[in-house]
Amino acid sequence: MATFAPASEPPPADAGKNGRAVRKPARRRPAWRRRLFPYLLVAPAVLYLLTITLYPGIYAIYQSLFFVRFDTWTFVGLDNYRELMGDEEFWMAMWNTVVIGGWALAIEFTIALTLAVLAYRDPFIRGWRIVFLLPMLFMPSAVSFIWKLAFNDGRVISDLLMGIGLIDGPLDFLGNVGLARLSLIVTDVWQWTPFLFIIFVAALQGQDPEVEEAARLDGASWWKLFWNISLPIMKPIIAVALILRAIDITTMFTSVFIITGGTPGGTTETISYFIYRIGFKTFNFGYASAASFVMLVITIVVAQLFVKRFFITSRA
Amino acid sequence: MSTVHPTTGPAADAAPGTAAPAPSRKRPPMTDAERRARKRRRRRSALAGSVLRYLILGSWAIFCLAPVVWFLSIGLRPRTEIITPQPIYWPSFSLDAWHMIWADWPMGAYLRNSVLAIVGSVIIDLALAIPAAYSLARYHYKGRDDIGFYILSTRMMAPAIVAIPIFFLFKNLNLLDSVWALMLVYAALNLSLVTWIIRSYMLDLPHEIEDAARTDGASDLSVLFLVIVPMCAPGIVTAAVIAAIFAINEFLFTLLIASTQNAYTLSVALANFTGGSDGIIYNAIALVAFIAFLPILLLVLVVQKHLSRGLTMGAVKG
Amino acid sequence: MTANPSRATTRRSFLKTSSGAGVAAALGGGALPLFHLRDSFAQGAEDPADILARINVGNYVDPQYRDQYSLADDDVLWDPAKDWIRTVDWEKVRTELSGTTVRFAIGAADTESAAAGLAPFEALSGITVELVPIPDDSMYDKVLAEFISGAASFDALQFFSPWLGDFAGPGFLAPLDDYAEKWNLALDDFYDTYRLNYGYFGDKGLYGIPFDCDIQMVHLRTSLVEQVTGGPIDKWNTVSTYDELIRLSGEMNGLADGVAGVGLMAGRGFWSTYTWEHVAAQHGMDLFNEDWEPAFESDAGIKALEVMLALQENAAQGIAGWGWPENRAAWLGGQLASNISWQDSGTQGTRPDQSNIVDDLVTIYEPRATLEGARFAPPNIAGSTSCVTASAQNPEGAFLMLAFLTTSSIMAMNEANANGVAPGQRSVLENEKLREVSQPAEVWANSLEYAWCAPRIPGMFEMEQSLGNEINKCIVGRSTPAEALKAGAESWRKIMKRNGFFSGSDPISYASVADATWAGKGKDLPF
Repeated sequence: MATFAPASEPPPADAGKNGRAVRKPARRRPAWRRRLFPYLLVAPAVLYLLTITLYPGIYAIYQSLFFVRFDTWTFVGLDNYRELMGDEEFWMAMWNTVVIGGWALAIEFTIALTLAVLAYRDPFIRGWRIVFLLPMLFMPSAVSFIWKLAFNDGRVISDLLMGIGLIDGPLDFLGNVGLARLSLIVTDVWQWTPFLFIIFVAALQGQDPEVEEAARLDGASWWKLFWNISLPIMKPIIAVALILRAIDITTMFTSVFIITGGTPGGTTETISYFIYRIGFKTFNFGYASAASFVMLVITIVVAQLFVKRFFITSRA
Repeated sequence: MSTVHPTTGPAADAAPGTAAPAPSRKRPPMTDAERRARKRRRRRSALAGSVLRYLILGSWAIFCLAPVVWFLSIGLRPRTEIITPQPIYWPSFSLDAWHMIWADWPMGAYLRNSVLAIVGSVIIDLALAIPAAYSLARYHYKGRDDIGFYILSTRMMAPAIVAIPIFFLFKNLNLLDSVWALMLVYAALNLSLVTWIIRSYMLDLPHEIEDAARTDGASDLSVLFLVIVPMCAPGIVTAAVIAAIFAINEFLFTLLIASTQNAYTLSVALANFTGGSDGIIYNAIALVAFIAFLPILLLVLVVQKHLSRGLTMGAVKG
Repeated sequence: MTANPSRATTRRSFLKTSSGAGVAAALGGGALPLFHLRDSFAQGAEDPADILARINVGNYVDPQYRDQYSLADDDVLWDPAKDWIRTVDWEKVRTELSGTTVRFAIGAADTESAAAGLAPFEALSGITVELVPIPDDSMYDKVLAEFISGAASFDALQFFSPWLGDFAGPGFLAPLDDYAEKWNLALDDFYDTYRLNYGYFGDKGLYGIPFDCDIQMVHLRTSLVEQVTGGPIDKWNTVSTYDELIRLSGEMNGLADGVAGVGLMAGRGFWSTYTWEHVAAQHGMDLFNEDWEPAFESDAGIKALEVMLALQENAAQGIAGWGWPENRAAWLGGQLASNISWQDSGTQGTRPDQSNIVDDLVTIYEPRATLEGARFAPPNIAGSTSCVTASAQNPEGAFLMLAFLTTSSIMAMNEANANGVAPGQRSVLENEKLREVSQPAEVWANSLEYAWCAPRIPGMFEMEQSLGNEINKCIVGRSTPAEALKAGAESWRKIMKRNGFFSGSDPISYASVADATWAGKGKDLPF
């Protein structure tokens, strides 16, 4: 059901019904309309996003210049930012996000890569693939409750470790900084390693099997195979996966909310939780907006530096 | 998904007798005995390698599965057996929690709201993303990359940042506590993902069919909807499923926007079992978690072949 | 640790379906679904006396508890003469207010059962109640947002009582003195500490009716304590000081597998604040001086933190992340040999469907401190109050509804149901039958005459959070007690300044609340 363009002349008789014939442009649309078309296509999406993100963004930036008390807004200029820069808790939250997020990312990356290398040629794993995917399919809040119960309320982890004889008494996963952070890291690793795993497996399976076979026949060890053949192919994919996960990790909130609440002493408070606490526990919305804005700037800068490079330029 | 033939693993090393290694450095040629010995060694180490491999993979599989099974057992036991001086690994069976969540709480309403919000948001997303993806994939114009990047960057918006203004926005529009508000928010959160996934599928389509259609005189729009979309169907379905997975997970906005069973979804319904004067009701939480898990599991089983491709937005070919 | 604001504002489970269903059955509903209840009452047609007759133990108290304590259907756990619903003239109510509507903000979790619990009220008064659900976890901010918007969508609400100042200060609540007088609300029946602190905003008037009346206490596992002390427990003498508690918890720690010596709440936010206030009040700590200056950086305050640190050595793992839900679960699950928590630890522990330690617990009198200036000041901490909004469309109807919900008979039956909503009336806590079903009631009632309470001032919500964060830091060893309290005091000054203090005209005068902070002032010890 083709609608004809408002052409001024009918298309030539031998215009290709199959792609191989000589093609002549059948469109006779005004040039400006043709140029406008792609913008029109993309406009609804962009406008929609602008409303949902630009409006709150501007609102937040505006609000960050005020001290908000109930419905009285007092202009304070950059005071909120000045206070923020000197706020120990803010920097601690940044640091926590980097430490917890960094370790989680490193661990899940290593595990996922190892598993992927071990699994990608294996016919059995294909069928069992769904088992490896399971953790990712639960709601993050549910996952947080699972580990809250396992680490803290139900003391299952301590009990298991005591059972093997590794430790003498129950561990304090809420009062010890390292352990508290570890509980958050484990939660994240459990849930999101599958995400990286299937990406890496697919990437490895995308390798040309003949090249692989040839290399193997040449006597290359699996390590050499990996290092010289697989890795270079995977580099862009690894980058993509890491960036996606890194972006999500900086917004780590649910597990902190449910499992630790920032304890001990604020050392597991991620920046998202910090913003939430300032906004919804102290109602200092101006301050929270300032923190949000700083976060926004950081994420945009990071995104500009890394994401653009790998996404846009890797596709011609 | 990759169409690679599953060649066998390192065990293949032992296979053909053609394994006479072409020596890259000068070495005296091997005797038959040596060759056989080497093959034996290889086979042994290959076997050991295999065992090790399966051990590692198996351990991880257990690590994935054990908490799930354990949590299910939490859901199916009486409340007094959850928190005890020593953890109980073989509890008695009880459907208390199951009865509670259906009898005391409008679980059906939560499920309904979750489904409505997700389906609605996915429809909105597809309606907006398909044209946008086409534009980004097939056209060259000024600012295309910037627009594409902007769309992607909205994914980085941390919910806590925009939560408060969006709350007030919806309050002023009188949309609070409605499934519509949830649809709008979920759609916004996932639009970037959906757009990029579909775009990556569109990029890989051969140009010829399109050009053929155009030559036939089809307008751009009909080319899009009648030619491109059908060809991209797997990609579109994948994008929809991934969006659904992320939407059901959404917690913070839903918490702020919803206040009654009109809009409460499963993810926030969990909060019902933690905030009250009964403390944290773990068995109820576990069962609600599984209620939300099962549909996602089914969806994923359907599209698992395409999942990895979708998740990397096409950076992984295949 | 769930960061929800309060365990008390959330599910008001006296409205729980079990009792709700009981009510439904009693009020002739039988098999009728709940939403038919309202329709089945012709407004104001039935004789009030008949309706009141059905508000009784047989219909309100959970059958398994009735069995457990052999309660008869018409057992009286209160004093009918002081039970407001049986003394008020319902015909007068009907004449004046029948046909009007009241909008009640309620935790979203309660909506279904609230409808049933309020059905008798609707029948008695002819007033229709519309429930406005607010998600439990964001009660404070949602309510505040509604207030700020100028026209709250509800007439009545109940919330965590420490926030009374936050809401009354800016004028979001309506004064209730006139209504209380007109309808003869039995205010005197409330213990002073509840009436003054949950009801009055300084000397500005009555703004709330005490709803869930709390107190923090010390609970012991009978078998474990007796194992260590070798004899029966004396509620006043066995653990007579905090040093005793520290020593005892040390000896009980690990006595039984998986059981820790003591449990306490030291999670971030107000949980830590409450535990510390509990202990510090016994040591003689005062939060403010007469000029509203924070005065808790004293020896008493510091010693209290040291006590908490000492207790931590013998405490369950993870108290640094414990709020009420975690603490409650651990205590009822049997993981603790002693517990510092609200009185519901003592009541809910006796119910087999909730607890693993039935018959093995006892609630004792507050241990004293051995510091100069120490006193007997059992802490009245948290709790909830019920109020009418300043912008209410039907303030009088709202008041009557709240008076109905807080009446002594219904409150007594809440206690019998061990649902976490606690009565604050003398006529209830001194009732013999009630004491049979509520294990801590006697100790609790006697303690209330000496109770300590924090003043309800604007900004208190934020202050409790910030101080709690500092205390939590100290508990996990990242600051010393002195540093923690200093930082806390600084943040308090900042917050109070923002709320109008230290500017020449304080929102309320210290003198107006001084007496309410310690009801035991000038009294002799009970024993």
